[in-house]
Amino acid sequence: MKLLSNQLPLTLAALAGSVTLAVTFAAPAVAQEKQAIKAGTIITMDGAPIQNGVILMDGTRVLAVGPADQIEIPWDAEVTDAPDMVAMPGFVEAHTNSGIDRANETLDVTPFFDVQDSINPVDFYFEDCLRFGITTINVQQGNNTVIAAMGAVVKPWGMTVDAQLVMPQSGVKMSVSPKAGKSAATQAATLRQAFADLRSHLEQLVEEKRQGNDRAHREALAQGRDYEGEDAKGRAMTGKGWIVEGMELVPRVEVDEKMAPLLKVVEGRLTVYMYCGAPAQVRTALDIAKENGFLENMILVLGSGCFKAADQIAAAKVPVILDENLVFVEVDPITEEETRTFEAQVFKDKGIPFALTSRDSGMESLWYQAAMAVGQGLSREDALAAVTTVPAKLMGLENRVGVIKPGADANIVLYNGDPLSVRSQVQHVFIDGQKVYDRSNDPRLKHLFEGQRPPGTAPAQDAGSNVESSDGTGDKKDKE
Amino acid sequence: MMRPMKTLALAALLAGASDRASAQTEAKSSGASGSVYADVLYTSTGKTFENVLVTFQDGRITTITPGAKVDDQVPHGAALTAGMVDLSARVARSEASVEQTNEVEASLSVAGALDLFDPNWARLAATGVTTVLASPPDRNVVGGLSAILKTQGPTDIAERQLTGRSFLRGAMGDAPSSGNRPAWGAPNSIYNRRPTTRMGVEWEWRKAFIDAASAPDYPELEFPGADVFRAVLAGNVTLFVQAFTSIDIRTAVFLKEEMKREGFGDIQMWIDSGAEAWKDPQLLKRSNSGVVLPPFPADGYSGENSFMAWDVAKQMDELGIPFTLSAYGSFSLGSTLGDQAGRAMHGGLAFDKALAAVTLVPARVLGLEDRIGSVEVGKDADLVLWSGPPFELTSRVLAVWVSGTPVTQSSSATR
Repeated sequence: MKLLSNQLPLTLAALAGSVTLAVTFAAPAVAQEKQAIKAGTIITMDGAPIQNGVILMDGTRVLAVGPADQIEIPWDAEVTDAPDMVAMPGFVEAHTNSGIDRANETLDVTPFFDVQDSINPVDFYFEDCLRFGITTINVQQGNNTVIAAMGAVVKPWGMTVDAQLVMPQSGVKMSVSPKAGKSAATQAATLRQAFADLRSHLEQLVEEKRQGNDRAHREALAQGRDYEGEDAKGRAMTGKGWIVEGMELVPRVEVDEKMAPLLKVVEGRLTVYMYCGAPAQVRTALDIAKENGFLENMILVLGSGCFKAADQIAAAKVPVILDENLVFVEVDPITEEETRTFEAQVFKDKGIPFALTSRDSGMESLWYQAAMAVGQGLSREDALAAVTTVPAKLMGLENRVGVIKPGADANIVLYNGDPLSVRSQVQHVFIDGQKVYDRSNDPRLKHLFEGQRPPGTAPAQDAGSNVESSDGTGDKKDKE
Repeated sequence: MMRPMKTLALAALLAGASDRASAQTEAKSSGASGSVYADVLYTSTGKTFENVLVTFQDGRITTITPGAKVDDQVPHGAALTAGMVDLSARVARSEASVEQTNEVEASLSVAGALDLFDPNWARLAATGVTTVLASPPDRNVVGGLSAILKTQGPTDIAERQLTGRSFLRGAMGDAPSSGNRPAWGAPNSIYNRRPTTRMGVEWEWRKAFIDAASAPDYPELEFPGADVFRAVLAGNVTLFVQAFTSIDIRTAVFLKEEMKREGFGDIQMWIDSGAEAWKDPQLLKRSNSGVVLPPFPADGYSGENSFMAWDVAKQMDELGIPFTLSAYGSFSLGSTLGDQAGRAMHGGLAFDKALAAVTLVPARVLGLEDRIGSVEVGKDADLVLWSGPPFELTSRVLAVWVSGTPVTQSSSATR
């Protein structure tokens, strides 16, 4: 398929032809380009909004942000002058299964898989992200799993997964809710068994080392694993759940590759995105996390209704990612009276950090969810934080994304009004300081937004009305 | 050539129940009195008042006082609008609400098949929809007559129904034929029937019109409900045809034009769920038809695989084609009629046009513009109080009054 027309064709051509060429005239040119945005309002998500502000960027990062009279724009910077527009950091999608070809793997336990092998950079999903102002996406495997692949944080821009990557191996997905064909009990047992298997594997490795058996070493060599850096050495195991004594004898590279990610989990060095579809399973999730020492590096990905377990979640101090249904509806079977609960408010009141997620990649994406949350009573600040700074912090990227401040990734979205108003649309998107989206030059939007008139069906002149769109870019006249 | 029409029987059929109804409604609505205060009142007639107190008595608006000051006892919100009107509310009905053994059932009214005890009426009212046009489902070609009713009020249909224009509701396209199949061997299902294609659906329509128009001269062509078709041809009943795709809209318009060409009569037509009305708007323009736009789909694809551009409402407005918005009677978060108006605004429609498309325009279509659709002294006290600018996602409905009676449902606490 064809991507948006301004997608660095030079870079690609160069990459395809010769690496040297790409380096000489594409990459450095991009990296040093200075950009400045003059915006009527800048919502930085780092303090109060700035009126008549300027954002200064180099090829990748924000250099400065502040009122126009306090920031000098260098003579060689390319200036985007948008006095009527509102600038915001791009939204951050805390958890999604979009952008990958199939969301679920049939095997139960696969922490050695990586969604990078499944992400399709030219998926329409990433185009939609730009269209609706999402610039950072945590792609995780689907919920129908036990222990799933490792996820990746990507930006919706780039022709290859590597170009999209913001943070590889951003966490491992697990589910405490029954995978299809399992009961809740066998699901929990399978989860626990995976960690028990890891433990006995590590014990076996230590035992073999103590007996002078070099099977693991030979196996690592046979598999071509590299003895490099920290992994070349043994290191005593840390962890808040359980530890295996004697791991200092075992070079980490000799740990079975299929289990190595789980060792990181137990040692608290890899985030767990634990899907929990029902409030009854929250307890199981917390127990398994405590038993295996990853309570502090776990984020609960909640299904509807899990606010009922909010007290347990608050006591465990675990942050949550809410699903797309903002309001949980229960109907009394006798009186048919409805009870509606706006779940985010419950988590807010209990002091639990929460992120909102998109309903779909189009109209009902993060801006829509945040606006709805405001409609339901959440403060504007909290709603915006739940789609920017909170998910950024969950990923450990709080200094890079979801915020406009010096040093942060220059991911900036310009709107023609309040980002949460139905009257506003994304006009421009900058990612890493490059303008990657321009609404006036978005062919597929013309199809979605204005339809495409079949040839010969243009409104007749006798209709007596102006069908050109107001900004003069509309494609209302047919192309015969 | 025009043929004599037997309209007397029909007039009795259409108006009898509802005349009685409105008299009783007025008698019962006394006591529905109160007041509401809003920072801004959008009247739907183009006027805007600030800091306005609206009082109502016996279900009717009695005073509108801008610049008023009130105490804390009066319900207070950021904005006040007229109650919304959904012309394609698909609520409190089931497949059992339509006769399925006959493809053409013009003599039946959906009024007899609606469940007024269904709690969904209150849920719908709590979203700000106060009047609906309820129609039979499209499991056959011509389902029957639609009914106009308030979303709250007496649970007796005779009392609840409003007297406005009459609508004969049916469908073009895929819906009436889907699932039908020819019988192989012995028939074994009621779905062993025609029509099995769009062409067959259109043929049922045309046959009914031609038979009805010809029956005065050829009595053997008379069929139950033929008088309704003659009333449609005489312009006394509006034809309300579901047609998602441009090919189905074309079929409906061509049918109307054929009836006129043959001298059978000039049909007044509204298209229900015309998702693809934007594709060939001149069809609607030249046939003087209006269109009810179905709910905006997230991915652009509406019913029967039709494609609904996000700016379709703006396009209809610019072309001068009458249109209204519909949420199909949805009361779920994010897909209410107010949310549809918001989506139309996201597609470029101005706020006042969006407001009209869910209040005054549908009220006019129903022939009830002197009773509902705007906030004016003397009109029904159908009011919606909003927490912020209406139709913005960041606003919610705070309170709703139907004929002066507040909607009481726990669900109204959220949206």
